[in-house]
Amino acid sequence: MIRCKDINKIYSHGSQRKQVLQNVNFDVLPGERVALLGRNGAGKSTLIKLIGGVELPTSGKIVRDMTHSWPLGFSGGFQGSLTGYDNARFIARIYDHDYKSVRAFVEEFTELGRQLKMPVKTYSSGMRARLAFALSLAIEFDCYLIDEIILVGDQNFQKKCHEELFEKRKNRAMILASHSTDAIRLFCNKAVVLNKGIATTYANVDEALDIYSAL
Amino acid sequence: MAAPAFRKLANGWRIQRRVIHALMIRELVTRFGRENIGFLWIMVEPLLFAGLVATVWRFMKGPEEHGVGIIAFIVSGYIPITLFRHGMSRSVSIFISNSSLMYHRQIKILDFIFVRFIIEFLGGAMGYVFIASILIVFNEFPVPANIGLLIAGWMVYAVFTLSICFIVAPLSEISEVMEKFIPVITYIMVPFSGLFTMASWLTPTMREYLLWSPFVNAMEMMREGIWGNKITAYYNVWNPIICSAVAATIGLALCRHVRRTLTVE
Repeated sequence: MIRCKDINKIYSHGSQRKQVLQNVNFDVLPGERVALLGRNGAGKSTLIKLIGGVELPTSGKIVRDMTHSWPLGFSGGFQGSLTGYDNARFIARIYDHDYKSVRAFVEEFTELGRQLKMPVKTYSSGMRARLAFALSLAIEFDCYLIDEIILVGDQNFQKKCHEELFEKRKNRAMILASHSTDAIRLFCNKAVVLNKGIATTYANVDEALDIYSAL
Repeated sequence: MAAPAFRKLANGWRIQRRVIHALMIRELVTRFGRENIGFLWIMVEPLLFAGLVATVWRFMKGPEEHGVGIIAFIVSGYIPITLFRHGMSRSVSIFISNSSLMYHRQIKILDFIFVRFIIEFLGGAMGYVFIASILIVFNEFPVPANIGLLIAGWMVYAVFTLSICFIVAPLSEISEVMEKFIPVITYIMVPFSGLFTMASWLTPTMREYLLWSPFVNAMEMMREGIWGNKITAYYNVWNPIICSAVAATIGLALCRHVRRTLTVE
């Protein structure tokens, strides 16, 4: 389980202060697929970063009893000047995985071929998504933190993600921040709506989507 | 109770070793690439610095000063100060430049400081051994009279440098002004580093002041390790050790504070 207890996050810059999250409480149980809904700037990415431990909450606590991926998003997690293979090797090392099996999976899943020998900074966002996803699937986590990225790929990538994440790894938990109502209706069984820093949890995804559309 | 706590500690240590190993390789590849001599570049800079400055001094001041060979003297001063300068400058904005790695929770911000410091440390040590071996062959550098003392001096010098890095890294995050001051600070401290002088060449009052500097104490240790009783060295090994402990405590507290508010893109 991952539990957020009274999370507050305040960003300050000089005399400016912005409270992004206010007393956020919610749980993610094993196997739950939680949608994070909210308008741009509502704090979805911030919440995912806090859960992933990339940034620390100003106050409150996050208890993690299951392993979770790093936040899979458009930025972060990679070193742009290193090649795809180097990044894969680095990730295999820090997560204590056998590089050969990680490499084999990445080659097969990403279908990037010779591009893997190029620096990651030359990749398009779709290619990055493929690489990030392939690596997090090769490592295997109990909970995947996904910040929009799943929906940037082409048909073929989406089909593969579907197969790997929603069929082969059906029992895993997931937190998905997205604006795509179709995807959320299809994949999620719980939703958290963020509005003005306050998070409300809904067991019924359709109800949450209605509220989100009215924001 | 004690057994699980110990296991947790042992496991944490195992993870940090793996992370530091992976970060080292990554840092070496991004900084030096895999072409030509690759990671051996880490010792080229200290080597060039020490070698060229020593050559210039040799032509300006003649072969000896106060009875010690000038080339050896300058080399023995320049290699340590290069470690300090590089350690400082590579600690500036270190968290920002590594921020994409903070996506992986097992990587701690202290790992970044350790890794960059270890690379500078190894570069300096390798450069030192390399240049000293060559100079010994040409009779320009004495065979160290007490190699243990030389290494001990180098170690306390390095530990103090590391503890300063622990302070510089978070400070550069708190205030951008810091970055502008670093070159000036490293320049100003040259006279207080024992680079060009030995404590015994100074007046007693001057010597007393200078021996407050942990760098001078460590440098005197190294030089006694090299020249033995051909020179008179003044040092108190506790000075750099206590200064390091104080600086490291302040630095670690600052790092902890900065981590809480660090914003990662």
